[in-house]
Amino acid sequence: MIRGPVSAYPVLALLALVTLAPLAGLLGGGRLETADLAFWNSAYVWRALRFSLWQATLSTALSLAPAILVARALAHAGDFTGRAFVLRLFAVPLVVPAVVAVMGVVGVYGSQGWLPLGRSLYGLNGILLAHVFFNLPLAVRLLLPLWQSIPAHHWQLGEQLGFDVRQRWRHLEWPALREGLPGVALLVFMLCLTSFAVVLTLGGGPRSTTLEVAIYQSLRFDFDPPRAVILALLQLGLCVLVALATLRWQRLPEVEIDTAPILAGQHRRSRAALPLIMIAALFVALPLAALTLDALRGPALEMLGRPRLWRAAGISLAIGFCAAFVATLAGWLLLRTSADLARRGRAERAGWIETGASVVYVVPPLVLGTGYFVLLSPYVSPFDWVLPLVIGVNALMGLPFVIRCLGPALRQHQARHEWLCQSLGLRGWARWRWIDWPVLRRAFGLSAAMVCVLAMGDLGVIALFGSSDSTTLPLLLYQQLGAYRTDEAAVSAGLLLLLCLALFWLIERVIGGRDA
Amino acid sequence: MLEIDSLAFRYATSTTPSMSFSLTVEAGELVCLIGPSGAGKSTLLHLLAGFLQPGAGRIRVDGSPIELLPVAERPITIVFQQHNLFPHLDLYANVALGIAPSLSLDSDQRDAVDAAFARVDLDGLQRRKPGEVSGGQRQRAALARALVRARPVLLLDEAFGALGPAQRRELILLVKTLVTERRMAALMVSHQPRDARIAAERTAFVLDGRIAAIDSTGALLDTPELPAVRDYLGEL
Repeated sequence: MIRGPVSAYPVLALLALVTLAPLAGLLGGGRLETADLAFWNSAYVWRALRFSLWQATLSTALSLAPAILVARALAHAGDFTGRAFVLRLFAVPLVVPAVVAVMGVVGVYGSQGWLPLGRSLYGLNGILLAHVFFNLPLAVRLLLPLWQSIPAHHWQLGEQLGFDVRQRWRHLEWPALREGLPGVALLVFMLCLTSFAVVLTLGGGPRSTTLEVAIYQSLRFDFDPPRAVILALLQLGLCVLVALATLRWQRLPEVEIDTAPILAGQHRRSRAALPLIMIAALFVALPLAALTLDALRGPALEMLGRPRLWRAAGISLAIGFCAAFVATLAGWLLLRTSADLARRGRAERAGWIETGASVVYVVPPLVLGTGYFVLLSPYVSPFDWVLPLVIGVNALMGLPFVIRCLGPALRQHQARHEWLCQSLGLRGWARWRWIDWPVLRRAFGLSAAMVCVLAMGDLGVIALFGSSDSTTLPLLLYQQLGAYRTDEAAVSAGLLLLLCLALFWLIERVIGGRDA
Repeated sequence: MLEIDSLAFRYATSTTPSMSFSLTVEAGELVCLIGPSGAGKSTLLHLLAGFLQPGAGRIRVDGSPIELLPVAERPITIVFQQHNLFPHLDLYANVALGIAPSLSLDSDQRDAVDAAFARVDLDGLQRRKPGEVSGGQRQRAALARALVRARPVLLLDEAFGALGPAQRRELILLVKTLVTERRMAALMVSHQPRDARIAAERTAFVLDGRIAAIDSTGALLDTPELPAVRDYLGEL
């Protein structure tokens, strides 16, 4: 019997090691004493816990309710001019670093902004706005395919049976939506629960601190590792609960197998659709526009002459490239095995490999960071190891994305071409050069671009361990904000945004090829 | 009776010349449409059902023109090859939709639904979901809905194309009886000339957006005059 690639197993073992070791460090090495345990029950912990859940719940509701309306509007508006642009615009927040988005949101809705909302954005209001900025477009993009999954024949039947708007919703749209909505809601909830940079910059006072930020504060300001350990364990527990709920809700849709093409926009256009889409597009575009204008008005020339800014940009770039390389390589090694298993009909085992690799996202970066702090501090200073730590954590966080993006492409490729390649005797480099790479480069390009940009804009572990030698661009930006040098911060934010967008575009083209 | 008079249509993106269909189907008659794929068989059905708007021409049902009526008001029921049923509703609700999209039925209407189930030999499966029954049973449920809708025209868009030969034959025979019983004018698109022999007295051959030939099924299939029909059938 021919054995397939087994590269996944060492990678899985390594993944288990780098995730479980810090968790073991949290559980065992924290040297908790009875006095520390009283902290469990303190008002501080309860307030952070309550606020974490409350803001995540509100953020999810405020993102999803409009997202359903906007996705429905997009599904009903048919093929209007600018549809492709709106969909691209909705993808932009995915690559916008959180600190940058916060500045944009403040630029639009802050007290000095274009559309001031209340007296101050700092606190719950600002946190919610920033979370909706990220998650509304994300949810729209995840929900829209649900409408496209409604078979064209169902729309036609609905028309023949004389469904009105309400009956169309009840018999056609809601059943389709119901399949995917819990999964999307839990994803958004998880993202908001573990959101760090947004809460750090817009909240942080005792009344608006989440567990994630409380971990940071107890390590960085109070220098109280046992407290950080307790908070990290609590946060980990919450995330595991949400992840378990996600597993529970991922049930298979009960549909007939579809072979007919899905025709969009066969039914009548709805009149409210276009204005609604416009409003949503403005909501996403305005913060980016405000930020760009502020950056251009700031002391750009003076700032761009400073080596500190360029040094920070260089470190960010290095982190981005390294994380992208590590995550893409690890993802590919894992997927080679799982795709091969799936092709041989061992789909269950393939699924386990991919789930195992994605499950790391359950562990929030700050929890990992705390774990490494506890684990390393008896032997070395974690502050000296900040760059490998940041690269590693970001690669871990990017891995689920690589799995989701590269996995289907690789599986389809193997299913279609494996036997052909074997019968032609295509192996090794020739096969990679002429068959695998041309087919897969698009998915590789997208994966690498995504992980690179996420890592570049990340303000997480770097905030825990960053020092003046290892200041990244997002950290510099955060320090400038903290020192109330808003005009300088605007320039840094502009540069970071430009770098992220340009790099995303560039990597996707260079790796993905011209038609990516 | 269904009368189609120079019904014209052209796909916006297509370079092929405009289609134009003329055809008459008597009440109680089932006419089979065969022809190469892309010839316009399904397009004709979708024009009749109102999913597509004709450029010109007339459609009359029992004498009155219907080409300007909205889809829901046309005296027509169409059955597709798949996706005739909504997967989240049980078979009973799927059939009941044919009477009231609100699904609130009075007792006479409920009796009508049950009678339709009995007529298509699905009695007892009312509470099953479409995913829990066979492909043939799903198509029977779609036919039951056509019965409760009681429209004078029935269109079958390769309705049995996904079924095996034995089941297909069974369902075609059922349709044939229902069409005679309810005096419907029926058009059936099929890829299998065999289906036409079972189903229809008359068969039409569709080519390049036109009814290129129409004759008794036996004559059209056994002694085709048109070279295109011979090419399509191949083995002759």
